[in-house]
Amino acid sequence: MKDFIMTKAVKNNNPPKNWDRSGLPGWSYHSPALLELEIEIFKTHWQIACHISDVPNTGDFKTFDLCGERAIIIRDSSLKIRAFHNICRHRGSRLVAKDQGTCKNALICPFHGWVYNLDGTLRGAARPDTFPDLDKDEFALKTVEHEVWNGFIFVRFKEGPQPSVKELLSRHKEEATRYNITDQIPTDGFWTEQSPVNWKSIRDVDNEGYHVAMAHPGLQDLYGSNYQDEPYEDGVSRSEGQFTMSKGRHWGVRNYKKFSKQQASLPESLAKTWIYYGIFPNSVIAMTPETSLFYQEFPVSVDKTIIRSATYRYPNEDRQQKVARYLASRIDRETVVEDKQLTIWSNESMVSDSFDGFYLSDLEFGVRTYHNHLRALLPVYNIKKAPKESEIKHLNASLETKSA
Amino acid sequence: MSFQIDPISIKNKEQKTFLFSKIGISGSGFERYAAAMYFYKHGKISAEMLEIYRRCCKFDKEDPIHVAQFEGIKIIPNLSQGL
Repeated sequence: MKDFIMTKAVKNNNPPKNWDRSGLPGWSYHSPALLELEIEIFKTHWQIACHISDVPNTGDFKTFDLCGERAIIIRDSSLKIRAFHNICRHRGSRLVAKDQGTCKNALICPFHGWVYNLDGTLRGAARPDTFPDLDKDEFALKTVEHEVWNGFIFVRFKEGPQPSVKELLSRHKEEATRYNITDQIPTDGFWTEQSPVNWKSIRDVDNEGYHVAMAHPGLQDLYGSNYQDEPYEDGVSRSEGQFTMSKGRHWGVRNYKKFSKQQASLPESLAKTWIYYGIFPNSVIAMTPETSLFYQEFPVSVDKTIIRSATYRYPNEDRQQKVARYLASRIDRETVVEDKQLTIWSNESMVSDSFDGFYLSDLEFGVRTYHNHLRALLPVYNIKKAPKESEIKHLNASLETKSA
Repeated sequence: MSFQIDPISIKNKEQKTFLFSKIGISGSGFERYAAAMYFYKHGKISAEMLEIYRRCCKFDKEDPIHVAQFEGIKIIPNLSQGL
């Protein structure tokens, strides 16, 4: 996990007095029935698939799989970005099996050989003499809703409660635009890893900075107590970490501070700052003076989660910026390892009968506001004692009815 | 069946390039088959010949013209041009 986000929340935006400091109930971290409901949240909310620079030319594609759904992002012959379900209309096979590549002329199903134009329309079925005439639009690939925001390509598999990405992130528009993310290009491709925890345990660690001083010596050296956190509001959180004045005690941090230099497009206030936007339910976009990146996590099962990330850089980067980018990723790498352990410890507590649940610090208010977003969608999270698995779906539906 | 590619059609030209993409180049089998489908839809290639292109599409080194000749499938003269 590219875990710049761990720097969050050391300074907090004053949570209300007497706020409820509890977290989600332990059972919700290991309930298959609840996971089925949670998966719908993933499908109905915006997800970052890739960046426009991942598919620069005609026929370039990037795939994106999520909870049983699969999308293909592709540039058509007029360089327009399109998003389709990566599903052949014939028998449902994947049209492309690779994560990334180029289909110069058309998309061809590797199962029977149906051919689709890059705009998704059907060019023709294999052995056309064995079919009636097939309308190219009726049998076109099904589109996936998509939107480009500052170069990042978002997809949404099902209609959901969020507004457009533009509207969702509107309060950060001006700031994000300064980074010229649209012009950035890939660095080292996509990074994925499977973690042996419930997906919410990753979010729980990621949504607070209380642990930074204890768990992340590198980040502490970089930011110290300069972190600020805006908890989740209307599906988005924001954090920033301004570099401390110290030179840095750790080799990597000391040299990062030395070599990191101001991008021409960035104002002074962002020149030595890392910014993070948390996007409900599972994505984070981070910007540094050298890079932008995103990371996200998807459930595989109640105790397995895939983490996915990619980093982008300025195309005209000089040697100093390249060195700074390397050093930033070095700090990040250490943080990832440190955090992975924290998520395991947090997650395993949820199966213990002896654990009474979270009792959160003011510095962990982001965890609470994030949980509140979940509770608003699935009121069954408010049930403290584990319901019977067979009753969870029905119970949630009845609670929704009551709250409506 | 004649195989007259409209010289003013950019799409045709583009697809002709794909149809005659060099044998052995990675991905060329798919390019040829996709182009063959295009020309089939425009009545320029027979269903029999299209099927040869389909069979060859996963094998970039397989020349559909050679396969058709081997199997005695009639090849339209223009189809072999440019090879």
